Amino acid sequence: MSTFFQTLIVGLRLGSIYALIALGYTMVYGIIRLINFAHGDFIMVGGYTMIFVVPAVLALGLPAWAAVVAAIAVCVLVGMATELIAYRPVRKKGTAMTALITAIAMSLFLENLAQAIPAIGPNPKVASQIFSAGGISIGPVTLEYTTIITIVISAVVMIVLWEFTQKTRLGRAMRCVSEDKAAATLMGINVNRTILLTFAIGSGLAAVAALMYMAQYPKVYTTMGSLLGLKAFVSAVLGGIGIIPGAVLGGIVIGLVESFTTSYISSSMADTFVFLILIVVLIIKPAGILGRNAGEKV
Amino acid sequence: MKRKSLFSLLLALCMMLSLAACGGSSDTSKADSASGDTAAAGASDEKIVIGVISPNTGALAAYGNGVVTGADLAVEQINAAGGILGRQVELIKTDDQSDPTECLNAFNSLVAQGVGMIVGSATSGCTSAITDAANEEEICLLSPTATADSITTEDDYVFRACYADSFQGAIAAAYAKQAGFDKVGVVYCAADVYSKGLYDSFSSACGKYGIEVVDAQSTASLDVQDYTNQFASMVKAGVDFVYAPFYYDVIGPYVVPQARAAGYSGVIMGADGYDTTPDYVVDGADLSAFNKVYWTNHYDPTDSSEKVSSFVKAYEDKYGSVPSAFAATAYDCVYMYKAAIEAAGSASPAAVRDALADTSTVYECVTGTFSLDESGTPVKGAAIIAFESDGSSVTSKLLDVVSKLPE
Amino acid sequence: MKKSKTARGYFLNTAVIVVLFTAFQFVTEALGSRSSFKLVLAPCLWQCCYLIILAASLNMVLGFLGQLSLGHCGFMAVGAYTAALISLACERAGVFGDKHGAAFVLVLFGCILAAGLLAAVVGLLLGIPALRLKGDYLAIITLGFGMIIVNIINNLPFCGQDGLALGSAAASLYKNGLGFGSKGKVEYLWAAISVTVICLTLMFMFVRSKYGRAIRAIRDDEIAASASGINTSFYKVFTFAYSAFFAGIAGALYACANATLSTASFAFTNGGILNSTFVVVMVVLGGMGSMTGSIVAAVIMFFVNYEIKNGAWVSALPAAVSGVFEYPMLVYALVLIIVIMFRPKGIFGSYEFSLQNLIPDIRAAHAARAAAKAERKEAGSHV
Repeated sequence: MSTFFQTLIVGLRLGSIYALIALGYTMVYGIIRLINFAHGDFIMVGGYTMIFVVPAVLALGLPAWAAVVAAIAVCVLVGMATELIAYRPVRKKGTAMTALITAIAMSLFLENLAQAIPAIGPNPKVASQIFSAGGISIGPVTLEYTTIITIVISAVVMIVLWEFTQKTRLGRAMRCVSEDKAAATLMGINVNRTILLTFAIGSGLAAVAALMYMAQYPKVYTTMGSLLGLKAFVSAVLGGIGIIPGAVLGGIVIGLVESFTTSYISSSMADTFVFLILIVVLIIKPAGILGRNAGEKV
Repeated sequence: MKRKSLFSLLLALCMMLSLAACGGSSDTSKADSASGDTAAAGASDEKIVIGVISPNTGALAAYGNGVVTGADLAVEQINAAGGILGRQVELIKTDDQSDPTECLNAFNSLVAQGVGMIVGSATSGCTSAITDAANEEEICLLSPTATADSITTEDDYVFRACYADSFQGAIAAAYAKQAGFDKVGVVYCAADVYSKGLYDSFSSACGKYGIEVVDAQSTASLDVQDYTNQFASMVKAGVDFVYAPFYYDVIGPYVVPQARAAGYSGVIMGADGYDTTPDYVVDGADLSAFNKVYWTNHYDPTDSSEKVSSFVKAYEDKYGSVPSAFAATAYDCVYMYKAAIEAAGSASPAAVRDALADTSTVYECVTGTFSLDESGTPVKGAAIIAFESDGSSVTSKLLDVVSKLPE
Repeated sequence: MKKSKTARGYFLNTAVIVVLFTAFQFVTEALGSRSSFKLVLAPCLWQCCYLIILAASLNMVLGFLGQLSLGHCGFMAVGAYTAALISLACERAGVFGDKHGAAFVLVLFGCILAAGLLAAVVGLLLGIPALRLKGDYLAIITLGFGMIIVNIINNLPFCGQDGLALGSAAASLYKNGLGFGSKGKVEYLWAAISVTVICLTLMFMFVRSKYGRAIRAIRDDEIAASASGINTSFYKVFTFAYSAFFAGIAGALYACANATLSTASFAFTNGGILNSTFVVVMVVLGGMGSMTGSIVAAVIMFFVNYEIKNGAWVSALPAAVSGVFEYPMLVYALVLIIVIMFRPKGIFGSYEFSLQNLIPDIRAAHAARAAAKAERKEAGSHV
């Protein structure tokens, strides 16, 4: 029984991280239908920012997590720059596929740029402790506070984003752009500005995800974003891409599947089972767990 | 209009391709003559060229960084001291991105440029892609850290400066036996040649020493962040000795703290990949987790001997960080070439090979004083090192030096 | 009239291929012993061969069928391991001793064919459920397939220590099985080239056949295609498996060209250019729906990658510039972004190179350019 709880907790820990990243993913995807391969690398950017800022923050007498403010600022800038310099010009001229290639190239560019910067370099860096250790003990296993914080943050972010997209003017503009760009323009919505705002929000979320990731898995390296981004994207698709609660649900499911496979089936085949579950779910429900199957218009 | 521009583009591309092809072949034909020179000239002013192949970019760039910095430092020192046989040394560095195909490409381009001695590559997977090619082209290949057993066994021109997996894994098993553990567990990575190779040799040595491997858990890749479940399984299996052959960047932030958090309090044993772990621990966390973590290494980094301390100091002065095992072995590789070239009196690959193949030569290196065996693998003792922690920092302590495997 | 034109086309193409191939054989004979040819050109040609097949085969799914597949290297891995294992088994069974003679050639082509067939079977098994999905959902399933295949091969007992020489699914094929060293690559260059030519011919014929027209109809409008009597599921799955077949063959050639197989080479996060995302890049860069484009893009991508890493000219650059080249993938990413910005539809769009239409194409292009010039002039005079 203790194995079960231990596995559950590990699953929640991984899952809450995936969920937080998937939220940013799903925002961007929902509005421009682009698999933003560079999203994982925004997390890397946020992580390195915090590595450099945390000592300064501690010197000021603030708690270590306050460094996330700097990380959010840097990530928002990088995210907006990516949109302005790379994605927007290509979106204007090319197809969905060329946009995808640009995203791949941007991801490659960010990873290698980080390696080329001397202060970062290829060696991984280990963060200092961000939240104090400890947690709630359930029998022999412990649910750490960081895990609870991550889950709470994911839930709060999910609710705020949901309210934002449903109730505010800007949020409604976003949904409008994702439905039909041309119509949105006709309704007086500045499409480009809305997309830029989405990128800002998505990259800001990446910085928050980076904070929670580093609190539990305190290592950053330049290629950390690729697999992390991939798993988060899988989570977003599993939950139903573009659907905000779906991202969280998908993330938690992927985390749990990964953890339970490791404990109960085969520790070396965890990836296989994660993707098998994905395939099975998508075949049963092609639009993801929370997605609705829209009938095709003829 | 469209077709036209497409067409001109096609033509331009064709031209570019032919240029690229010519570029490729012309620089090599130039290099052909250069290779003749290097091979023939005994004591000319011509530079001695050593090629380096390492994963300088990509996922394993940290290893490549160690290799390049270590080799650079050695060459700088050698040149400052007057070079080898009065000739200056030059490094040509290439990047294999830890991909076998790229490694072979890098090897071929180095050979085509006339390089006769190569240091590389950092991983067994990449090195095994070029060992046979080195033999076929009669190029000396000296790998700093390719530990798979099969690397040096088949080919005359291939040597290395590190142990083979079978030795290091067996040392750990012998240590477990000596310390009185008869039930052990293993956590390793099935997708990594280094980790899998050590697991295989450890478990077969356990069979030999009558130790039972009760539980073996694996991870799907080296990118995995969470090892809690694997160690929870060890706790369940009731073992107090776990062999976990991983690298420092996983051990420091992930494996050891998570193992302790999962309730595992026994011994964690590893191999040379644990080197420099104290630089990769989480500041502010409870570091007493690192007590009872042991590992085998080529050398003792806390060694106060002249050789080691001067290397560590020179490295820190130049790069501002502690050298990794990759840097130390790559540094040694260059000095091994120096010794071999001086013994041979020539820098031609065949002569250097013969010098390296001489099993009586003793190399005094940073990573130990050793000679090479018939296959080209160093015969050197293993230092068993323990991490010690008072809770706020981690230090290394030499436990034991094992020079021979027990029967 | 039409028939004679097709026949003329076949004749023309065959003749040109035969002439080029013979000329190529002479070149190989003449230069085969030169080290620049042996160490640089021949290995490069081998790599180009499998990249071309890989890109062209993905183009059938991506460009002609219009489905995004992000796990194409998974099929390549299946092919590579199949070919390697069969060739090792043959050698152990004593079918061939050294890598010369008719028996070896037979085994070589047998392995290549078997690699393709097994990959096609895997493609069929994946395609039947997966192709019910569309767009990014299909993309994510194929991506998952790429990860699963790597994970499975790592865990298969006969792919690890017991089956191949080195642990963890890395294996030395150099001395055993069908791997070639430098000399072998020169000796069997003809095999790589002819396999590539045959594969390309089969793919060209496919996209120009009734099948090709059907899948293009599906790409442009699936509902309309299905309404006009095209069995869309059949055509989609068939194309997917057909494409996997050639990816498997590319894998077999990869196994020949590389003395070592390691699953990391086929992984999604592999650092080199051989991974599933880069195959997609090749297809899009060349132009979706243009086989010519895929071929040219594969070759360009290969040479750009090779040259920025290994080119001697890099060291001749000024220090500031050559410092950037220490990070080849950085340069690579920049080149990619710039090319995509200036040619968003790919280099070739959907243009196909054809010997028969070469002269008319040039004429048409000339005329078009003259017309455009005149138009610009006219527009200019108005301003």
